[in-house]
Amino acid sequence: MANDRDRAEQDLRVIRSLMERATTYRAISAPTALCGAVLAIAAAFFINKDETRPRSFVVIWLGVLVLVLCANTLFVWREATRAGRPFFSASMKMAIRAVTPCLIIPLALTMWYLTTGYLGAQELLLVAIWIAFYGLALLATSFFAPRSLVVLGWCFLLSALAIPIVASNAPEEISALQLPNVLMAVTFGGYHLIYALCTWRRKGAEEPPNA
Amino acid sequence: MFDFDKLDRAIHEKGRLAIMTLLAAQRSWSFQDLKAELKMSDGNLVTHLRTLHKAGLVSMTKEVTDRPQTSYALTVRGRAAFKEYIQVLEQIVKAGKR
Repeated sequence: MANDRDRAEQDLRVIRSLMERATTYRAISAPTALCGAVLAIAAAFFINKDETRPRSFVVIWLGVLVLVLCANTLFVWREATRAGRPFFSASMKMAIRAVTPCLIIPLALTMWYLTTGYLGAQELLLVAIWIAFYGLALLATSFFAPRSLVVLGWCFLLSALAIPIVASNAPEEISALQLPNVLMAVTFGGYHLIYALCTWRRKGAEEPPNA
Repeated sequence: MFDFDKLDRAIHEKGRLAIMTLLAAQRSWSFQDLKAELKMSDGNLVTHLRTLHKAGLVSMTKEVTDRPQTSYALTVRGRAAFKEYIQVLEQIVKAGKR
């Protein structure tokens, strides 16, 4: 009887761990985060020296986004090829379905900024939207994402909430023109760098999902 | 005393239980994904999948995109059987604790 119970308990443990593993999907890998962080910090330095703003501010950050997406595609493709899996895995489709609604408003606002919004120099508003909705997109994956990604999502969301306070208490050395760029460097650069460093060593042993 | 005949014999095997669990966690799995996740040999995986398919617990879809691919999913009967299997396991654990 004790043996049967042990076997049943063991089976239930196996079922649980397999289900957790099968449903965990890291939408942002450590190499992608590191690549994003390096590019974001580099872009922030470049923009800081650029006097021709404000439209180029968005163009440069969109360029960073495109480069990071290309790098991520390469990393995912390499991993899929190595494991003999399809590029568009079921988990990836699930992640895309989860984050897409969160990208509609930032996309619309970016389009508005590129057409007429830049005339009013609304960079801070745009950056707040980018940070907030990026955080929301990460949190939208929380039911199958590892804990570290959920923490990253909360960091972005809370940072967006803190922007009005930061803006009104910013040190004099940081001008109103520089602030959006500094915020981008700290969040997209700094947070991704910390995330990459924290998750890199776990690449082999995947952490449990957030649930 | 617990009636162990209640355990579905088709599922009550380590490899097949693992397959059923993955199929219950995610709607559809390709053969390659299952193989990579379970680290089973082709022959072993095919044998287990065939057993589950014959028992009516797993459905099989073959499609050809850039290369032929076979996907597997739980049938309605398979999902119910898996649920029932877990319930039986839980009953065994509970009965053992009494």
